[in-house]
Amino acid sequence: MSGNGAVWGRVRSRLRAFPDRLAACGAEAAAYGRCVQASMAPGGRLRKDLCAQEFEALRSCFVAAAKKTLTGGR
Amino acid sequence: MRLQAASPLEMQRLTRFLPCWRRPPAAGVPAKNVGFRKVASGVSSLGSASPRSLNIFDRDLKRKQKNWAARQPERIKFDYLKEEVGSRIADRVYDIARDFPLALDVGCGRGYIAQHLNKETVGKFFQTDIAENALKNALEMEIPTVSVLADEEFLPFRENTFDLVVSSLSLHWVNDLPRALEQIRYVLKPDGVLIGAVFGGDTLYELRCSLQLAETEREGGFSPHVSPFTAVNDLGHLLGRAGFNTLTVGWVRVTVLGIEKPSCTETRCWRLQQCTEGTIRFLVLPFKTQILWLRILFPSSPYYFLTVSFSVWRIFHKRHSQNPMKMYGNEDGSVPATYQIYYMIGWKYHDSQARPAKRGSATVSFGELGKINDLMSRGKKSQ
Repeated sequence: MSGNGAVWGRVRSRLRAFPDRLAACGAEAAAYGRCVQASMAPGGRLRKDLCAQEFEALRSCFVAAAKKTLTGGR
Repeated sequence: MRLQAASPLEMQRLTRFLPCWRRPPAAGVPAKNVGFRKVASGVSSLGSASPRSLNIFDRDLKRKQKNWAARQPERIKFDYLKEEVGSRIADRVYDIARDFPLALDVGCGRGYIAQHLNKETVGKFFQTDIAENALKNALEMEIPTVSVLADEEFLPFRENTFDLVVSSLSLHWVNDLPRALEQIRYVLKPDGVLIGAVFGGDTLYELRCSLQLAETEREGGFSPHVSPFTAVNDLGHLLGRAGFNTLTVGWVRVTVLGIEKPSCTETRCWRLQQCTEGTIRFLVLPFKTQILWLRILFPSSPYYFLTVSFSVWRIFHKRHSQNPMKMYGNEDGSVPATYQIYYMIGWKYHDSQARPAKRGSATVSFGELGKINDLMSRGKKSQ
């Protein structure tokens, strides 16, 4: 365990980079949002993994963006 | 930041290896044993809860969070909500045609109410808060003040002390709200008044709904991530139960637009954190943050870390940025955050206060409401 906050600082900096990576995946995120929102329409039911495909697309896009920034420069 | 760093990791160890215990909240205790005093966030304390209260909020954690928030360098930027509510409460104090020699501010923060009041209205002000940093960084005010480090649930004052008690946006963190209100009534003088503001049921509903939807889709169910707030009916009942008379409860809805791009969700979360005193980090992710830190303890590739942290934050970030945009967002991409604030006024009983008239003592009926001007002038002539 670190007593000087080194681990926490690293975690924080990684999490702070999240929105930039998310910005690269705006389309996928919007698709995911639309899918969930569609299930909120009358007659639809929100179940587990209803939008799993969109989420997988979003996840892979996100990981790719993260890898790019990591290898690019840290 | 040291305290914050140590506690989640030690929290993890505690939950795995040691039985959890919780010290009763005590004001002014040095924080050297921080790791061992904490219970995993979200779990209620064992054994120290009174029979009629359930400890939803960990008061020790709350004090640390408030201390953290008070230490932030840019807090002026995030205090706007508290400043606004503080000024509204000061307005209500001015509305009462009386002056108050001795007043108490419960959960004062940096003194958002007292800075708007003047010496004629309030003679002396007692500022109490659970976090010492907030009291140390108090705002400038002209009224002589005494700062007391005290928990809202355990007010260290005698009965019939204060003419006025104000409380701005701090009672919603109290575990046993009926008891806190009873204590406030206890320290009030007869014909003393409580003027308070708490967050209401619709606060942060965009955040709450987005998290609910995301978690339902991802996990199949959802758990609460935003702390519970009182409903307006309950507020009236609570005040009545605590023994206040002549209640007045009103509410105001404040919408804060996040003008940043939807991608800057972390910045927004950060801002929300600062506005709500750092609580969002812990309250919103009670259980999942433990997973996050558990993974960090073991060596992990960046990829692995990212998948896990992603799984932790995916809900919060994705939903907060995109779904709220679709559901709640405005055209320019800003995402609103709603705060519903209930203002309440309650009086301690005194003989001079107006009481409801006896049944059957009416002299006019509602049917004559159209002629109310005649009735009033007739009443004045006869006086």
